Amino acid sequence: MDTFLQVTAYGLLQGGLLALVAVGFSLVWGIMNIVNLSHGAFVILGAYIAWEMQSWIGLDPFLGMFVSAAVLFFVGYFFQRFLINLIVNGPVFITLLLTFGINMILIQGMNLLFTADFRSIQTSYGSNSFEFGNVRIPLVRLLAFLLAIVITFALVAFVKRTRTGISIMATGMDRGAARLMGIQARHVYALTFGISAALAGMAGTMIATIETFDPSKAGKFTLMAFVVAVLGGLGNMYGALVGGLMIGLVESWAGQYLSGTWVNAIAFLVLIIVLIFRPNGLVGKAFYAARVEF
Amino acid sequence: MSDVPLLETRGLTRRFGSFDAVSDVSFSVGKGEILGVIGPNGAGKSTFINLVSGHLKPTKGRVLIDGKDMTGAAAWDVARAGVARTFQIVKPFNGMTVRENIAVGILYERHGTNRLSVALELAEEILAEVGLAGSGDRMPGELSTADIRRLEFAKALASKPRLLLLDEVMAGLRPTEIGPSLELILKLKQRGTTVIVVEHVMKAIVAVSDRVLVLAQGKVLMQGDPHEVLADPRVIEVYLGHRYAKRQKGDS
Amino acid sequence: MSISTQMKTRRSLIPIALTLVAVVLALVLKSHLPGGELRAVATIFMFIALSQAWNIIGGFTGYASFGQVVFFGMGGYFTAVVMLKWNFSFWLALVLSGCFAALFAILIGQPLLKLKGHYFAIATLGVAEGMREVVINLPDLTGGGAGISVPIAGKFAKTQYLGDGGFYLLFLALAIFALGIGTLVSRNKFGYGLRAIHQNEDAAAAVGINTVRSKVMAYALSAFITGIVGASYVFQQITIFPERLFDVEITVLMIMMVVIGGSGTVLGPLVGALGLQFVSEYLRQHFTNAHTFILGGIIIVAVILIPQGAVNYLREGRRTKDYSLLTNIRKYRL
Repeated sequence: MDTFLQVTAYGLLQGGLLALVAVGFSLVWGIMNIVNLSHGAFVILGAYIAWEMQSWIGLDPFLGMFVSAAVLFFVGYFFQRFLINLIVNGPVFITLLLTFGINMILIQGMNLLFTADFRSIQTSYGSNSFEFGNVRIPLVRLLAFLLAIVITFALVAFVKRTRTGISIMATGMDRGAARLMGIQARHVYALTFGISAALAGMAGTMIATIETFDPSKAGKFTLMAFVVAVLGGLGNMYGALVGGLMIGLVESWAGQYLSGTWVNAIAFLVLIIVLIFRPNGLVGKAFYAARVEF
Repeated sequence: MSDVPLLETRGLTRRFGSFDAVSDVSFSVGKGEILGVIGPNGAGKSTFINLVSGHLKPTKGRVLIDGKDMTGAAAWDVARAGVARTFQIVKPFNGMTVRENIAVGILYERHGTNRLSVALELAEEILAEVGLAGSGDRMPGELSTADIRRLEFAKALASKPRLLLLDEVMAGLRPTEIGPSLELILKLKQRGTTVIVVEHVMKAIVAVSDRVLVLAQGKVLMQGDPHEVLADPRVIEVYLGHRYAKRQKGDS
Repeated sequence: MSISTQMKTRRSLIPIALTLVAVVLALVLKSHLPGGELRAVATIFMFIALSQAWNIIGGFTGYASFGQVVFFGMGGYFTAVVMLKWNFSFWLALVLSGCFAALFAILIGQPLLKLKGHYFAIATLGVAEGMREVVINLPDLTGGGAGISVPIAGKFAKTQYLGDGGFYLLFLALAIFALGIGTLVSRNKFGYGLRAIHQNEDAAAAVGINTVRSKVMAYALSAFITGIVGASYVFQQITIFPERLFDVEITVLMIMMVVIGGSGTVLGPLVGALGLQFVSEYLRQHFTNAHTFILGGIIIVAVILIPQGAVNYLREGRRTKDYSLLTNIRKYRL
């Protein structure tokens, strides 16, 4: 029983981390119908920025993540405004290919800049943990988990209550109509992509405090974001959180009770089945079911 | 003429959620007949076409084509039974030339050729018939609205249908452009093709239809001779509202 | 009519003549190239075949198969297993592995081809990633993560190793086979059906095209070609690992070649495969460190400037007499 509780707690915490990775990815997909294959590279870039912040000026990663977020916001804004916007109306594989090209540049760029060595951000409290009964909770993982929840709710509030947020939502639902309302789609798209990249940067910082990272891990994070976003339901604002927690739990349980790496195979099987039978995700209706395609 | 109607529907119903878009529609069309279908916006005309052509599955009821039960059959099976249709929102094959658009229909027609070169030659005849001669090498995106409608018509003709379902092929055409379309429909009738014309343009309906069916809120309001139907106060009421119908009565 | 028919016949003879010239050139080249170069050219042939295969489902039919490598991997593993465990000859294994991949495509195609756009792309990617995990977790059959080796010499090998020259010819044959299939599809009823499906499935069904069957057949055909290429690759590499045989980068390369060359045409993927392999090889030799960096840049520029691919761009330009890149960019931009 204790093992089960420990595994469950670990799964939930891991799920929060996955949600953090996926939330920006899901936002971009839902609003702009773009699957951003460079999302994982943004995550890793965020980790490097926070790492550099710590090694240069000793900035704590929980502050450094805001620097990561700020830098990545501009990177994301730039990519969308001057590159992706140019082919937004093209066929599916054009956007996939473009973001893959961006991914190649970012990963190789990071390889050249930071080398391919493993790194991680060490903190004085990094190995702290506390116990509930017999369940051990690592402090940093708990903070990352809480951050995922805070960010999810903050994003929902931002989208529902602020002018900018509402214009993002409106553009996602019907770009033509939003334009007629005087919303500058180019700017809004770039803004959305910037926010997504900033969230990826924060996720990367959290990951760097928990595990080691290097540029080759980018693909893994993109794939995770995929799976989580699909399971949670595209564009469902809480989808990434729900999907992340689900995957976290399932991986954790299966890792404990199944042999080998069957857990990965099962995760993909679940993904495919969900896609076929519930393309809107496992939870409820898609947030922007009213999206107008044209 | 045999007694079996070419198309017969029995209690055809399609529900979207709790809303009956088409409800208990029963009627039949004989071979070589032209049936006009009219009704205000949202009366279920397009849903009705989709149910017959196999693009939507009925919730209840049956569709019989030449006596054969085709209820819920796939759209391509309906097409291969000799039913062709146009779409209200035109759906040209945009990446193909106008000629190729037609050739696809010829290739997949039930008695069609398997040879591409033959199909491309035959496409020329159909293009001439609808007034698109000389446009074969153009892309659909380069055509005018009227020509796109013609292309939609031509794509349906390429299947050499026994039953042709025309979903507002004349919408957006200028009065002078409607004439040739009507002539074409009458020519098809002479060849023995059965045509169902769904249209907003009343004049067009009256000019070609043998019989008119009025749909309102998914149900059959009435059917009969075009002139009688259009003069019927119930029809005027669903189209123009209660008050207008009353005034009409007062005037006469 | 006779004039246009004559013109058409003449036009269809040009590619045949060019193919013959290319084949003769390739054969002459074979005796002049050293082993390493032979292998590099064989890789180009391999990608010509793979890009043609992807073009059938992705280019003509418009379904972005992002997990195409699954057929490469399954064809490859099928060959490895039957050659090692049941002592099949390579040639028999080659044909069977194509059929195996096609069968698998028919099986997963039924549900997956109902999905549209990104959903199809991700589902197929999921199949490829999942299949790699399955292969890793069946070590008794597939050797698992430690890899598997096919017998290539001695009395345990029914088919002796083909050598650099042999594989050069094998991949050349596969490339010609794939180009032949591509040409056939682009000019027959089936291919016209696929193109119609690509544009609009409702309208395609309305003219009598069985869209479900056509899509599944296109998927199976492209899987067959991908499968036999995978089988040949395995025999050439001798020892193989799941990570390599189900590597998503192989899929991405296929897609890049098709899209940059011009999807939905036969010439496009050929141009894309040749161009990208040459550029990639050149960069690898001259800019060892930054070669993916520059390649990524080239992809970005190519996709933005000519999103419809080189061949389609030139064809459109010839039709409209407008080769301006600015007009071109306007088509897809926000």
